[in-house]
Amino acid sequence: MDIEKKHFTCVTCPVGCEVDVELQNSSIVSMKGNKCDKVKEFVLQELKEPMRVLTTTVRIEGAKWAMLPVRTDKPIPKRLLLQAIGELAGIDLKAPVHISEMIIRDIAGSGANIVATRTMDLRSEAGRARQRNDASAG
Amino acid sequence: MQADVAVIGSGPAGLVAAIEANRSGANNVLVLEREEELGGILKQCIHNGFGLEQFKKDYTGPEYAERLIQDLGKTGVRCFLNTMVTGVLPDRTITAVNSENGVFQIESKSIVLAMGCRERARGSIGIPGTRPAGVLTAGTAQRLVNIEGYLPGKEVVILGSGDIGLIMARRLTLEGARVNGVYEIMNYPGGLKRNIVQCLNDFNIPLYLSHTVTEIRGRERVEGVVVSKVDEKMQPIGGSEKFIQCDTLLLSVGLIPENELSKGAGVELSRSTNGPVTAETMETSVPGIFSCGNVSTVFDLVDYVAQTGMSAGRNAAGFAAGAWKENGASVEVIPGENVRVVFPQRYCFRDDLILYIRPAKPVERPVTIGVSPVEMYVKRLYARPNEMIRVKVAREKLKKITGPIEVSITER
Repeated sequence: MDIEKKHFTCVTCPVGCEVDVELQNSSIVSMKGNKCDKVKEFVLQELKEPMRVLTTTVRIEGAKWAMLPVRTDKPIPKRLLLQAIGELAGIDLKAPVHISEMIIRDIAGSGANIVATRTMDLRSEAGRARQRNDASAG
Repeated sequence: MQADVAVIGSGPAGLVAAIEANRSGANNVLVLEREEELGGILKQCIHNGFGLEQFKKDYTGPEYAERLIQDLGKTGVRCFLNTMVTGVLPDRTITAVNSENGVFQIESKSIVLAMGCRERARGSIGIPGTRPAGVLTAGTAQRLVNIEGYLPGKEVVILGSGDIGLIMARRLTLEGARVNGVYEIMNYPGGLKRNIVQCLNDFNIPLYLSHTVTEIRGRERVEGVVVSKVDEKMQPIGGSEKFIQCDTLLLSVGLIPENELSKGAGVELSRSTNGPVTAETMETSVPGIFSCGNVSTVFDLVDYVAQTGMSAGRNAAGFAAGAWKENGASVEVIPGENVRVVFPQRYCFRDDLILYIRPAKPVERPVTIGVSPVEMYVKRLYARPNEMIRVKVAREKLKKITGPIEVSITER
């Protein structure tokens, strides 16, 4: 079978190695430009099913801020990103939440869970008063 | 109030500096933060890619911040929140204000400046047109979406391809807005390659290089922008104008180190970085005043910011303990061929010299980073202005230097 040439930018880390890969039957014959071994893993995964970590926010009630930042606890198929966002739109969540706490299990059937990426305490009385002041000033 | 080390700002640089100052033996360390929470800009950077080098983990911004805040919590460092520093004097007196203590002064043996940077806004780039609502910086949009829960618009054009702009292109797309395109005046992207791939390419958002916005239209709200191609001198090319309908224009056109306090303290500023002229110890031109992170020069990666914070914290603790009184002998570190920024700008023979180098022009061929006169040559496959190069020169190699250290990037 013919050798196929492809170009990839690895997104595993901020270095972003750009590699030229020669492929035969979806296996790597040669690779140029990578600074570490993780790139090979990345390229093979890109060929099979591109995977990304989803980071987004969900609405939270009773907290200091309106939004709680969340992530998937492992990469999910790229094609499921928008579906996952859709599932998160309607959820009902109340403070307090602790960092790493699971928010949704098995998001979009990906096998990954959505977890909180920060601790979000209950909004304090002082915070509520300040927000009221801000609202009336605005 | 007295302190050994006072840290101004609690973003990644300030948090790391405070932890490290405490670890290095300073007992009375203070952190002064103007917001109601520690963490600085990390709180709104909800994407991952933080701390890969420092912790060997792929944290999001809030996770990275919380880890540092937990480490800080174990130290006994005192944090003043909702506290605005209004002045720093060369004798290391800080004036600050908050609603609990009123206006108060801190006499500190050493100070770490860690105020970070701010975004360039419309006024800094002078786009003609009307002044409607809907023109905002990428960082402002990031705060609105990620913390306050507002979508700033539905049809978005992004000017500038800095990392925050790229990150926001993906973020706004995921939240249901349509990002028409990212327009970059230079002929190369401003942000990291990985962000072009996973923020633009993944969502089919086009990137137009050598393009800029030449007019903003709309009365109450943005109704559209005119984009034009630019020539090699970055001047708009007549006849290339195209109108794009949108309700929002995001600006991701660069960051400026925030040095109002540094100026008041008499700290010498560098014209190439817009931050303090700094030695490898992170000491500024004023003895006992240190600076680290994006207040010094704008870094691409939090790992680099943390490394400068560590150095500043350790050395600020050393100064507070009386390790030295005055700035000793030092040599200049200067940019040579194809180097726009080199940081730090001085070497004072105390630590290894960790150089952060920003190329002036992109070179897509193998290059050599030369550090003269130590005859050190480091090879790289390319050099790009959007990717800072870090090179470490061991202290032993620099012992006998008398003249300036020059850093250059040449094609192999």
